[in-house]
Amino acid sequence: MNLVVNGDAEAGPGGTAEPVPTVTGWKVVQGAPALIDYSLGGGYPTPADPGPERRGSRFFSGGDSPRTALLQDVALPARGATGRAAVDAGRVRYAVTGWLGGYAAQEDGVRLSVEFRDSRGTPIALSVLGPVTAAERGGKTGLVERTAEAAVPPGARTARVLLVFTRTGSGTSNDGYADALSLTLSATGGRR
Amino acid sequence: MTVNRRDLLKAAGVAGALGAVWPLSVGLTPAQAREAAEQLGARYDPAPFTLGVASGDPQPSSVVLWTRLAPEPFAAEQPLPEVVEVEWTVAADPELRRVVARGKAPASATLGHSVHIPVTGLEAGRHYWYAFKALGRTSRVGRTRTAPLGNVSKVRFAALNCQAFHDGYYAAHRAVAREDVDFVVHLGDYIYEHGQVGGVPEEHVRDHDGPEVLTLADYRKRHALYKGDPSLREAHAAHPWFLTWDDHEVVNDYSGTGGGAPFMQRRAAAYQAWFEHMPHRDSFGGSALPDPEIHRVRKWGDLLELTVLDLRSYRSAQNLSDGTILGAEQKSWLKQGIDKAPDAWHVWANSIMLSQLRGRPGGSYMFTDQWDGFLAERKEVLGHVHASGLEDLVVITGDWHSAFVDDVRVDFDDTESPLVGTEFTAHSVTSGAYSADWNETNGPLMGKANPHLKYFEGNRYGYDVYEVTPERFSAHMRVIGDRRDPKSPVTTLTTFHVDRGEAGSYEDEGTKGSPAQYRRDA
Repeated sequence: MNLVVNGDAEAGPGGTAEPVPTVTGWKVVQGAPALIDYSLGGGYPTPADPGPERRGSRFFSGGDSPRTALLQDVALPARGATGRAAVDAGRVRYAVTGWLGGYAAQEDGVRLSVEFRDSRGTPIALSVLGPVTAAERGGKTGLVERTAEAAVPPGARTARVLLVFTRTGSGTSNDGYADALSLTLSATGGRR
Repeated sequence: MTVNRRDLLKAAGVAGALGAVWPLSVGLTPAQAREAAEQLGARYDPAPFTLGVASGDPQPSSVVLWTRLAPEPFAAEQPLPEVVEVEWTVAADPELRRVVARGKAPASATLGHSVHIPVTGLEAGRHYWYAFKALGRTSRVGRTRTAPLGNVSKVRFAALNCQAFHDGYYAAHRAVAREDVDFVVHLGDYIYEHGQVGGVPEEHVRDHDGPEVLTLADYRKRHALYKGDPSLREAHAAHPWFLTWDDHEVVNDYSGTGGGAPFMQRRAAAYQAWFEHMPHRDSFGGSALPDPEIHRVRKWGDLLELTVLDLRSYRSAQNLSDGTILGAEQKSWLKQGIDKAPDAWHVWANSIMLSQLRGRPGGSYMFTDQWDGFLAERKEVLGHVHASGLEDLVVITGDWHSAFVDDVRVDFDDTESPLVGTEFTAHSVTSGAYSADWNETNGPLMGKANPHLKYFEGNRYGYDVYEVTPERFSAHMRVIGDRRDPKSPVTTLTTFHVDRGEAGSYEDEGTKGSPAQYRRDA
């Protein structure tokens, strides 16, 4: 199960390149993102550009702020195969995935990170994805997949997911693009 | 030990062997790299606690404890399980017999097997001792101290900055470890990101571990290299530290905003590695790693309010009419803090020079990477200090590799402008300053060009110790004799005082005759 709410940008207001003040499931901590329809055109990623195979209708962009940041605090499950007992026994792993991209040869980008915290909010694990460089996109508009996985440390209770879009240069549009963001847990046989 | 190491360096240099011995970038395994480094002076604690222990961010009932498991300091990935359980103990005595707190924390490979333990429930204003256990081994014992509450008659603290590994040994840290101080403030340039400098041993006592650092693995190794100086680990183990950073923790003169994706990758790697190696308390705010939140206000009883500034993460480019060195949110936070500041000494931990600095009369600013590149914001902040009636402001600064004492005025170009505080810019630990000739020529020129500049000394290295009472703030400039000697003795070059309720500083009569390249009140 994907623990990220609205990681696919499909829910809530949006659809154009106009920034939106609120995003379903996310706290906007800086700037204002746009949730853009793949059919918008105008140089934004289209259904034909590199991106998730099942990409729905929209993706996240950085809007027109130099730095746009979205945050989501995820409570890890209390019970079940990936619940607290399993986490504390060292039997749970996480995988974080995001499709991250940008525009042509520009270096605007977006970074996805997940920080696992214990019950007092202390960071105990971290994975950082991106931002994807223009070279890593082959200089083409589009999104590429980035993923990381690791053990959920014993004591982990929450995960803070942070999505940061950064603009470079003097343009207006913050052309970091993101879609298909996910955080999943899986039970393993034993302590690794 | 000193002689042997120098002999070894000289012999290696003469034989042309340094390229095969000191540099760690020539295909050595991590174990070989460590051996080479140790032969030439680096020394590590027993594994897995090679990098030592540290504490930071002292509060009345809490400190943060730090260690990192790194059995192979120069390995990109440690030969350890993915998660290692680390036990920690806090006690009221150095032998750890009277235990007051203990617990366990996971050290994850994703954070370089570092742990950051916010210990709570401690008593205010006292020492504690602590240690870690992992993989059947016990770390060295560290000492820390909680902040006091209420009436406080004295606080002493040290400020360190700019510790280029290749420029000298850490005699300053060794001395700080032996100082009777309540805490230490590090003002940045804890590591340097650039590649090797060469010139060992004639110009440099040692060198970096390889080329310019760019990735998380690179930055981890660089931090591990710096922690290979035992005096740095000793200073960490002796006192709790407050921390800010300057540019070289990432790259020279960078702005934290506006960079493209390649730079943002590098910045995130550098910030993560910094967190992994520092006793830093994070995630009490609205951010998260890999963007640690550094700025904070801490109190030392009713005597001192310390405001730690982050002048890198949120700054814009230099020399813009609407530029910012603080970022909008931190500026607003700072101004609000000024508005509600208690009656106390107000100390700003400020990585890079606040005061205006022209190179010569009528000349341009020397460095607009300093606050001189953010004129409107400086005037706004200092104007706010004046308008709010904030008194007893002392700014402590690093970066410059030389000592300055400045009067802080709202408008530095107007000698009638309100005087709102004093800035003490400390000598560097090791990072190279200008030549003695340059200092001799330019000290008087800077003095003439900057009427608020009271003192300049650039021929020495060391740190500052600040001694604060309700009546007086005294800055003691501690200097080492020789950066090439890891045990170089420390002396006090001079002392400046600021009296409570009186803006402006004055030099102690007893040290007014000490060497300096500029002194306004000569």
